[in-house]
Amino acid sequence: MIEIRIHGRGGQGGVTLAKLIATSRFLQGLSVQAFGLYAAERSGAPIQAFCRYADEPITNRNLIYEPDHVIVLDPTLVGPVIATGLKTGGWILVNSPEPPGEFANQFARYRLATVDATTIARDNNLGTRSVPIVNTALAGAVGRMLAIPLQEICAALEHLGFKGSNLAAASRAYEEVRLVESPREVGPPEALGAPADERRGPSLLEGAGAALPALKTGQWATEQPRRRQMIPPCNHICPAGNNVQGFLNALARDEPDEALEILLRTTPFPSICGRACPAPCMEACNRIELDGAVNVRQMERYAGDHGVVTPAPLARRDERIAIVGSGPAGLTAAYHLARFGYRAKVFESGAEIGGLLRSGIPEFRLPEDVVAREIDRILGLGIEVETDRRIDRQTLLGLARDHDAVLVATGLQEQRDLQLGMDGTEAVVQGIDFLDHVHRGDVRVDGESVVVIGGGNTAMDAARSALRLGARSVRVVYRRSRQEMPAIREEIHDAAEEGVSIDLLTQPVALHEEPSDGLLRRYRLTCRRMELGEPDESGRRAPMEIPDSDFELTCNRVILALGQSPDVSVFPEGTEVREGTQLLGLLETPLFAIGDLATHDGTIAAAIGSGRRAAVHIHRVLSGAHVRITEHADEYCDVDVWCDEVIRADALKLHLFERQAAAEGESLPIIERRSTFDEVHMGLEDATEAARCLSCGVCNECDLCCTYCPEGVLKRVGHRLEFDYAYCKGCGVCVTECPRSVIFMSHL
Amino acid sequence: MTATTAPGRLQERPEIPCTEECLLRPGNTNCGGCGMSVGLTMLGRALADAGDTCTLVIPACCGIVTAGAFPTTSYGVPTIATTFASSPAVASGVATIRDLNAEPGQVICWAGDGGTYDIGLATLSAAAERNENIIYICYDNEIYGNTGGQRSSATPAGARTTTTPWGKIQDKKDIMSIMAAHRIPYAASLSIAHPDDFAHKISTALLIKGMRFLLLHSPCPTGWKAEPADSIELVRLAVASSLFPLYEVFDGATYKINVEPDGSDPAEYFHRQGRFEAKQIDLGAARRACSERMQRLRALAEQYPSCT
Amino acid sequence: MPVQVITGNHAAGYALSVAGEANRTARGVACGIYPITPQTEIVEYVAQFPFSKGRVVPVESEHSAMAVSMGASMNGARAFTASSANGLAYMAENVMVAGYYRLPIVMVAVNRTLGPPWNIWADQGDTLMLRDFAWLQFYCEDNQEVLDTTLLAFRLAEDRRILLPALTCMDAFIVSHTQTGTALPEQADVDRFLPDLDLPHRMHYDEARTLGGLAWPHEGLSMRLEIDEAMKRVADVYQECRESFTEIFGRDPGDVIQTFATDDAKLVLVASGTIATTAREVVRQRRKAGEKIGLVKLKMFRPFPEAALREACQAATRVAVLDRNYAAGAGGIFWQDTRAAFQGHRDDLLIQNYLTGLCGGDVTPTVIDEILADLTARANAGDPVWMGIQTSKETLQ
Repeated sequence: MIEIRIHGRGGQGGVTLAKLIATSRFLQGLSVQAFGLYAAERSGAPIQAFCRYADEPITNRNLIYEPDHVIVLDPTLVGPVIATGLKTGGWILVNSPEPPGEFANQFARYRLATVDATTIARDNNLGTRSVPIVNTALAGAVGRMLAIPLQEICAALEHLGFKGSNLAAASRAYEEVRLVESPREVGPPEALGAPADERRGPSLLEGAGAALPALKTGQWATEQPRRRQMIPPCNHICPAGNNVQGFLNALARDEPDEALEILLRTTPFPSICGRACPAPCMEACNRIELDGAVNVRQMERYAGDHGVVTPAPLARRDERIAIVGSGPAGLTAAYHLARFGYRAKVFESGAEIGGLLRSGIPEFRLPEDVVAREIDRILGLGIEVETDRRIDRQTLLGLARDHDAVLVATGLQEQRDLQLGMDGTEAVVQGIDFLDHVHRGDVRVDGESVVVIGGGNTAMDAARSALRLGARSVRVVYRRSRQEMPAIREEIHDAAEEGVSIDLLTQPVALHEEPSDGLLRRYRLTCRRMELGEPDESGRRAPMEIPDSDFELTCNRVILALGQSPDVSVFPEGTEVREGTQLLGLLETPLFAIGDLATHDGTIAAAIGSGRRAAVHIHRVLSGAHVRITEHADEYCDVDVWCDEVIRADALKLHLFERQAAAEGESLPIIERRSTFDEVHMGLEDATEAARCLSCGVCNECDLCCTYCPEGVLKRVGHRLEFDYAYCKGCGVCVTECPRSVIFMSHL
Repeated sequence: MTATTAPGRLQERPEIPCTEECLLRPGNTNCGGCGMSVGLTMLGRALADAGDTCTLVIPACCGIVTAGAFPTTSYGVPTIATTFASSPAVASGVATIRDLNAEPGQVICWAGDGGTYDIGLATLSAAAERNENIIYICYDNEIYGNTGGQRSSATPAGARTTTTPWGKIQDKKDIMSIMAAHRIPYAASLSIAHPDDFAHKISTALLIKGMRFLLLHSPCPTGWKAEPADSIELVRLAVASSLFPLYEVFDGATYKINVEPDGSDPAEYFHRQGRFEAKQIDLGAARRACSERMQRLRALAEQYPSCT
Repeated sequence: MPVQVITGNHAAGYALSVAGEANRTARGVACGIYPITPQTEIVEYVAQFPFSKGRVVPVESEHSAMAVSMGASMNGARAFTASSANGLAYMAENVMVAGYYRLPIVMVAVNRTLGPPWNIWADQGDTLMLRDFAWLQFYCEDNQEVLDTTLLAFRLAEDRRILLPALTCMDAFIVSHTQTGTALPEQADVDRFLPDLDLPHRMHYDEARTLGGLAWPHEGLSMRLEIDEAMKRVADVYQECRESFTEIFGRDPGDVIQTFATDDAKLVLVASGTIATTAREVVRQRRKAGEKIGLVKLKMFRPFPEAALREACQAATRVAVLDRNYAAGAGGIFWQDTRAAFQGHRDDLLIQNYLTGLCGGDVTPTVIDEILADLTARANAGDPVWMGIQTSKETLQ
């Protein structure tokens, strides 16, 4: 008589496997039995099934205690218990992708066989993904192992009504099963200690029935959940390297101080960026797929305006660093260097520090006091400032001698021109210069028709400033379409709303003076209609002239806002000015170009990022310390796997979120804007908008996973998620229910 | 669909009580992804929130197998196993003595759809008519799960079970209407996919005296032939598509709809479960039934609104 | 102690009610009730009783009646109910559960024919159907015995050495609806006789204990073994209860078997219920005529009083077992257990079974005489003999 014990899990088909083996023998004329040990099996719980067959009639109706062979349906069940009572030299067949030798140490006295029945079952669509039914594949493997011809196994399958994919699975397993015919050791198995035999069960009358379950259901799991963290697209794209998700979540918890603290780890200008940043994070925001981007810009403004944090140097160091230029890049570098403890000194050619922060963005967009406040916070770290000090090639050498590192952040100072025939006359003024006059309050354009050429923020700012300074009409002329305009979307919208007309696909080609009709000069601007062609090197579609499409505009003033380019004359001749590269030729002192000067990017955010990267770089060079460039991660988090991947909307469970339109906030009435430089956007009154943040790929402690864990074995302890793997059955509900893809299943 | 919990917000949630004290202890034998397990865990949390406690009275069903083998138990509260049809009657006895002795705590029947819709319906009806001071929770997995998946009168039309191999013809019994017709103080339907609504209904029930009937849609991955991980998602779809509306009936007289379905197509719900085979589902009829179900409920809620 | 002319049902209702009331100083009393002819008067009585700390729950079925009583009992209260015939059959599942839960519930059953045929008269088949459910069973022959045995049953069932439910039975109409003088004990005496119930394994709100979940073979059979041990203690504990009863109420509630003239009896009749009354009278008459015959009335059927029965029949050579019940295909139920009691002890004893009085057939002295004639005449014991079929045609029609 041959007796076989099968170890499996509820739902895997162990009893059916016993029946299949029995049937194959029965069809050959043997006497057979197949049976399960029935209790209250649940899907996934360990179960046992038995099969015995013999040439003679079987009269034994007891369980099998000393099997000839053992079959294990699930590799996670492999343990000493499977060999209990197994006769020396018997087969152990394990459903496992591993070679049989893997189990030789554990089961040295037995013959071993393995087959990857799970893969075979999945390939044949047997069962569900999480509970593949492996019994028919294993029947094939058993056939090979016990020298039962495949056709006899298949005959049993057919006899029991199995068809197609089950036969294929059995045949494949028959071929693929790997056998180790000779046990590593011979001899009787070590005797296991006999289980304690309590003569009586506990008494019902004496309070029994309250003991904790002895079952460790973690043994059922074939997969386990783990916590990971991915990179939210906003964090990924932020040129300043801000932890956008992090500060939004702090705001969502109504912690503006913490939000500001998170921002100040990367940017010293949250209030400024909260007003003037083009906010690429909002264009990358996954919430667009649901109901519109989170209004990150306004939230950054809120954090900057409402948070109270006084940053202080984190250390004290003796090295001196010179920073040339006090725009956002220079000041950011100075800020971070000061926080690292360096003695930073800023050299500014103008009378006041701040560069374009002060003069390049008009008050109605960025009030002076906001700029002053954030600059004061930087200077509060103990940064030395020297204004009215222009650094040239010669003086730069001097700085290099006196300092341990020099950073040049002089921005874009050369303004691009357009050959219209009247360049250099007072008919044409550069946008930056115009805005500088506006800032100083010494220009009016009362009654004028103003034409602004360009599509960037300077163009919009100039146009809107002109409106406020009394212009009769303001036209913006831009050669591409609205899509290509580099200005902040909202800026364009506001400008149009305020009455600026925008001529798109229009290229000015010539300017002529006209006879004046009184106090004002008159000009005739000849323009040409354009259409968009193939993308150019900037990735935008290139404007192409439409023949014979010229038309004329009359105006009293033309403002050119076509962008700026860097002035690199401060560097030695032939220096290639690139970000992150130490420039050569100045003694041993590290010299870096940063900000717009190096990146040409033109946004404050990019300047901040550049300044910070330079500061970190210098710190690494001077101190040897390792400092992370970006701070995507919340340092409290206890994460199993850091996933270096930007999470896209399709990885989120967007349907779990309530639809809610973004908060836009109040603006000054249009009629009032004409006469005042007061800030147009009044900001948001509270931070509830931050709660719209989906916190893509980053746990925000919504705890839905804990709420839905069927077993209650997933708990939050502080900021950590504690999976109790002793009991986790691996059902995967926490994975399905995590709205932000923080939890994933890991195969055991 | 609108989740009542905005997952973007950090919610103040109580710590789940320690292993020994929670209603459903780890180490229970329920299948992975079992909806009843989620329900018990949520019930335990809601009771803990309210500072209340309970005695469970459980008839023959998966719920009593959950307890595990004597002398261990997976329940962290006193629990009584009853015969299949008897839980409301046994609970009546338990609650009677509790009240006679002015003792605290709830007596909660925790029964499957077999014990509720079918074999125990007369007992339940009688306890409801007597307005016994108990909470009756039916975890409705729409199948005789404990015996391996046979039809019950809660099985929806089209579902295959081992006793309806070609799909059930009749539709699910409307147990909520039956219970409302008893004019009990409180009847409500619950979904584990709406935990805040769930908690709210438990806390509402805790404050009411007399018979309180709660119907919990409880996914059974094994019987529904669905992925265990999909459990919550499935019942969420059922609410969204009006297959299982969430509402309350007070005194059998006034109605309140708690979650507005978003008009999701029930087809998705059917599609994700092996028990529904496409050719056996009359989608048109199912959609009509969903829309009529909601229309009727909306009419009731409009005509007889609850003031709570 | 007032004596009133009341029915057996009234006596039972009174006993249940005063026993319940006696637990007012503890966790009180509750019961589920459901009427069935001929038990209805009992539940009406308890429903009208003004309990100080108790509730009578009129439910929708016998099944639920026992369930409510079980719930109350599990929560530590005194609990009881009453039923009959098909009501007991419908209740059966929960009757069994109460036994295996070791709940000391007392039930009064009026023995009535299990239908079909629809027949409301005396037949013990209904309670004997429940014989294997771990209940104590007592069969009474008159109103006073019903009352006394019911009170005693509470004391016995609730004894910590026993903790098993108890069933008090009486014949339909012959006892249940027959008015006789019955002494009704004072509440104060009942209070003395029945101490406050303190059920050791009752549920506690602060104890996470599951009553009645799964058990593996080892734990399961251990529970059965505990029941067996409790059953074996019943004979002794019964005597303690009986003595206490006699002391408090001044009346002997009777032993578990009651013998009449068995000391030297060669022929012994074994009977229960009201048949025993008639048989006793026949024996009395025949003793006067010098016949060495005697009677054993089996009052307690579970646990089966084997030893007492053997002792009572020491002198006997022939025993007639009169069964007002019939286990189809196997004969009378009392007979089966009687035979088993003597097996290996008195293999010489002729034990003959007489099936009589089923479906309410009147067992008259004539029928008893016929039985005795048959018993005397036969050479060997044979198959069960149906007796009194002709008599039953002449009565009750």
